[in-house]
Amino acid sequence: MKKLLLITLLFIGLQHLASAQDFKEGFVQEEVDMQRYDKDTAAHAVYLNEFGNSRIDIAGDDHIRLIYKYHAKIKILDNKGFSNGTIEIPIHNSDDVSEEVTDITGTTYYKDDNGLMQKIELDPKKVFKTKDYKYGSTVKFALPGLRNGCVIEFRYTLISPYWDSFRKWEFQDEIPKIYSQYEVHIPGFWTFNASLRGPYKLTKTTSELERECFTSHGSKSDCSHLTYAMKDIPAFVAEDYMTSPKNFLSAIYFELVEWTNPYTSVKTLVSKEWKDIDRQLKIEDAFGSQLKRKDLMKERMAAVIAGKTTELDKATAIYAYLQKWYKWNDYWGIYSPDGIKRAMDAHTGSIADINLTLITALNAAGVNTEAVLLSTREHGNINTLYPVISDFNYVIAKANIDGKSYYLDATDPLLSFGLLQLKCLNDKGRVISLDKPSYWVELSSLQKTSEIHTLDLTLLDNGKIKGTITNYYNGYNAYTHRKAIKKFNSVDEYIEDLDAKLPKIKILKSNISNLDSLNQPLGEILEVEIDAFENMNKARLVFNPFFWEKRTTNPFKLAERDYPVDWGMASDNRMVLNMHLPAQYAIETPPQVVAFALPNNGGMFATNFDSHDNEFSFSNITRFTKAIYFPEEYPYLKELYNKIVLTEKTDMVFKKK
Amino acid sequence: MRTSLLLFFLLIISMAAGAQDNYDVSLISKDLLPYASAVVRNNEVNVEVKDYDNTLYHIKTAVTILNKNGNNIADIVVWHDKTNIIKGIKGIVYNQFGKPVKKFSESDFEDVNAHDGFSLFWDLKVKHYNPAVTDYPYTIVYEYEVKSKQSLFFESWEPNSTTGQAVEKSSYTFSCKPDFGIRYKETNIPTKVAIGTNKDGYKTYTWQINNLKAVKDEPYSPNADKYLSSVRIAPQKFSYEGVTGAFSNWKEMGKWMYDKLLVSRLQVPATTAAYMKQLTDGITDPKLKAKKIYEYMQDKTHYISVQVGIGGYQPFLAADVDQQNYGDCKALVNYTQALLKTVNIDSYYCIVKAGSTKKSPLNDFASMDQFNHVILCLPFKNDTTFLECTSQKIPFGFLSDFTDDRNVLACTPEGGKLLHTPKYTAQNNLQERKASFILDAQGNLSGQMQTVFKGTQYDNREGIIEEAPKERVKNLQKEYAINNMNIEKADFKQDKSLQPVTTETIKLSAGEYGSVNDGKITFLANATNRAHTVPREVRNRRNEVYINRGYTDEDEIVYALPAGYHVDLRPTDVSINKPFGKFSATITVKENELVYKRRVQLIDGTYSKDIYQDLIDFYQAIVESDDNNVTLVKGN
Repeated sequence: MKKLLLITLLFIGLQHLASAQDFKEGFVQEEVDMQRYDKDTAAHAVYLNEFGNSRIDIAGDDHIRLIYKYHAKIKILDNKGFSNGTIEIPIHNSDDVSEEVTDITGTTYYKDDNGLMQKIELDPKKVFKTKDYKYGSTVKFALPGLRNGCVIEFRYTLISPYWDSFRKWEFQDEIPKIYSQYEVHIPGFWTFNASLRGPYKLTKTTSELERECFTSHGSKSDCSHLTYAMKDIPAFVAEDYMTSPKNFLSAIYFELVEWTNPYTSVKTLVSKEWKDIDRQLKIEDAFGSQLKRKDLMKERMAAVIAGKTTELDKATAIYAYLQKWYKWNDYWGIYSPDGIKRAMDAHTGSIADINLTLITALNAAGVNTEAVLLSTREHGNINTLYPVISDFNYVIAKANIDGKSYYLDATDPLLSFGLLQLKCLNDKGRVISLDKPSYWVELSSLQKTSEIHTLDLTLLDNGKIKGTITNYYNGYNAYTHRKAIKKFNSVDEYIEDLDAKLPKIKILKSNISNLDSLNQPLGEILEVEIDAFENMNKARLVFNPFFWEKRTTNPFKLAERDYPVDWGMASDNRMVLNMHLPAQYAIETPPQVVAFALPNNGGMFATNFDSHDNEFSFSNITRFTKAIYFPEEYPYLKELYNKIVLTEKTDMVFKKK
Repeated sequence: MRTSLLLFFLLIISMAAGAQDNYDVSLISKDLLPYASAVVRNNEVNVEVKDYDNTLYHIKTAVTILNKNGNNIADIVVWHDKTNIIKGIKGIVYNQFGKPVKKFSESDFEDVNAHDGFSLFWDLKVKHYNPAVTDYPYTIVYEYEVKSKQSLFFESWEPNSTTGQAVEKSSYTFSCKPDFGIRYKETNIPTKVAIGTNKDGYKTYTWQINNLKAVKDEPYSPNADKYLSSVRIAPQKFSYEGVTGAFSNWKEMGKWMYDKLLVSRLQVPATTAAYMKQLTDGITDPKLKAKKIYEYMQDKTHYISVQVGIGGYQPFLAADVDQQNYGDCKALVNYTQALLKTVNIDSYYCIVKAGSTKKSPLNDFASMDQFNHVILCLPFKNDTTFLECTSQKIPFGFLSDFTDDRNVLACTPEGGKLLHTPKYTAQNNLQERKASFILDAQGNLSGQMQTVFKGTQYDNREGIIEEAPKERVKNLQKEYAINNMNIEKADFKQDKSLQPVTTETIKLSAGEYGSVNDGKITFLANATNRAHTVPREVRNRRNEVYINRGYTDEDEIVYALPAGYHVDLRPTDVSINKPFGKFSATITVKENELVYKRRVQLIDGTYSKDIYQDLIDFYQAIVESDDNNVTLVKGN
């Protein structure tokens, strides 16, 4: 599904072409007169033109900076498009350096009440900057004088110290664009890879050589000047059950391959191949160096693994210990800049702090463990054509015990050993260790979830149903269900709430098993009394055997999809109902016995019915064997759900003899 | 004798002081533990007014976190801006035995801009920190000081406004020079104020409360300020960002706002004034004139919120809005008022507590902190019209559920007046649907339906109407639980008159709506408007039952049944009549036509807590009725 296309490697086949440039600024009569956008008549606003220009250069402070200039002109077709007149530019900072936005200008062109052309400029005092978190701020401004049919034009310059993460360009947005162009100027000291994502093709790519465009303290270089453009780009529309829109949006990305220090001529290979990344990560203070702190962990884990003999026992003990030790501080990432010792002493840390501690601790205990870099679902898919370190935003542990791999994330205290949160089940992960070359591992089909409900019920002469409902949850469902229970201060308060939510059902007794034994299935046994029928004088009683968990509408509504349905994991859900009826009743209408399957064993729904005398047994199973269903499989998936809904709609009828 | 008594007293005091600082978790009374994830051991708020531009807040809190769910209560959050300056924060974490394990200070805090989720900019900042303790239970004890350079409002004391939190002890002391007059309002405070004088000669007002159990959420409760404890304090004379004033009732407060914050903001350029005259030329009815100008304002402006300094209370200049075409509620109301003034229509700037939950300011206690929004009032003779000025599309004179049926303070040249906004009754808030469907022998459904939305239900479809046609269909499919619904056509009409009406017309088909099995067709009688949730039961309910807003839903569906089939099983008709609501669902069959009628009405009001079970039964009956199938069989 991933439409990843390697467009060009820089410095190959340079040719001189007509120089591209920014579009002309200012008022254009036809743009203000424009009434609608014919290619998308539902659009409330459309980019008339958009231009970006990035170059690596020497900034006023004599430092090497990435200088990004942005210029856009948007037609606001009606007042529902006014939100496009508020511009927000996220910027980042570290402890000592920061990105900066300068030279903001904005103009609105409109027809006034008397039909005369007017323009109004953005007041520089009305540009605001808010601090959002430690490493991020937003620069915001609202274009003045918006009216139906107005045209807004704005520019800004963003100066970034992070030239190693070269500015990407998103051709596609939530509103359509008529034209979007991006130019980059890269001095010969740097080499980047460019890659295009998304379904649309570039309508223009050129490259040319710029003579001596970079000079600093006697050091000079030519630049590669590349231009990418697209025409008539439709608005992006998201669908339900999809992963990050980033995976599907048309955009161009750049990755640093190597660079030469202009002053010392020292060449640094950044990411030519995975072996280079491996080497770099191994010596990185915030990564490899942390993984080498085995002595520290040996000391700290000694008591935790005391008396444990097998590797699995040691690993589960360390995992549980660190889950409890740490409180995640809501920061993400793959690096631990302050180190795992400091994080451990503070009892808190980022994803990397916590899981690098785990990896090191496991290795210190003699359990062979590797790090797995991954990208969470909302962060988007990985570029697998060549290494892109910034694709990754999360790191977990892979413990290799007796020929089996366990994927571990100690940042969440409710995850059982070997279970990952849904957010991590995305695409591929790169396995990194100190002593082996790195390799890929598939994450999207790593785990399963299942539950089974067993209902043993008796219909009494007074119209009530008594019996037990037993629910067992395995894998991910056990995790989510534990989380739901733990929201309450005690199991009693959870049961009280459950009882309160089911007015027809009285919970007489309950037993929750393995709530804190995370590695066991979670069990829930409820002894219940159900107010089923008000009176038993009727000749026929209607009963729905799916009452405990009935699906009444199809979650899939679209006739067809453009993007895959991604659930993250396979699932298996079963229900068994054993029921006794009073002697005077017989079954007039049994439930439907059906079996439906998806092509290629992709999944199934089946029911089974069996009865003798006044007893019957009814069971059903819903199984999805895959985590991801592609658009071509979608009609089958939708139809399977349709059959489930139809089957579960049908009632049973009990008839008085 | 005398000495020993004194000694005894001293002993008690020192013992009490000692006990206060012992944070051993086992000392918490068992009575405070039910439904509590955290227990406030002690909270002391000291507010000292040194001068009109110098108030010192000293807050000391000790709170025990019992389990993971209490972690958010361990979040320490301190607001600050140019007027309210933090003078220092420090704290200690104690383990369950009351032994100190960790210290923290202001440098551990992260400082960010406050986010209200809608403002472009707000100058309020927030310092926050969570001590990241993983061994439960634990206790954090922290104190901080904030210097406030204003005396217009003082933070209220709400000793237990967080659910899941019990309180051992909480106190509030307000001290000021004897000549600094205050008014205060106690709500649900068992022990009245203790007034005294401290060693600096300041007059002190002290409130204390002990042993409050954790508040549990009860559905259909009245507004929390009706049953929770609180003390509000307002000054007689004050200073705020260089503006001074005094008020002791709503009339005076409205007058002060009008004179000091509003009257100078109403100038618009002459060209705009001239255009307003031109626009309303030939219209004689002042209400129609106002409507014309209001619609002009709606078309021209949009809502953007920027809150800086006194701008939190004072609107942008009308001339600024005229040029920039945007503003927040204050700015847009002020601008509309200015435009109306150019054609000699008077209007009032009205402050209000907006939100779907209706809230009115206290009748007998005037203060600035009881409002969050502004609307405009047109005081025509025999007809008071209110205008919401922040929406580009809301009909003239319609307030929706955002500001309906509540008191607002009108700031007029003669002073403040409490006015009441219009109430939309259960009968007014009507959703009325008529559907005509054909059900064929394969269970396929087709036909059309028309729904009208009135009263506060007028804007039920607002979000969908805004969408592009393709997205509209997607969202309508989510709105209707008709399986396999395929929308062939969807149309919306909006009548923006004084009694606005939205009309939705949908042509649809739904394959396999009915399930065909063994010669029988089973289908849900209620295709269009099913209820799915029942309010949960509450043991030992303490709050009255409060229904905030009433409504009426009516559905009538005519099914043409497939030829040769007749009804084998059908649900019995339901009719329920309660003081708080009515429900009926009936089915009539005539030849090959089945008519399903459903009506739900919920009536707003406050009811005894004893009827809560009736309310659950009411909803349960609706959910069950909505889930009923009709079964058809072939032949006679």
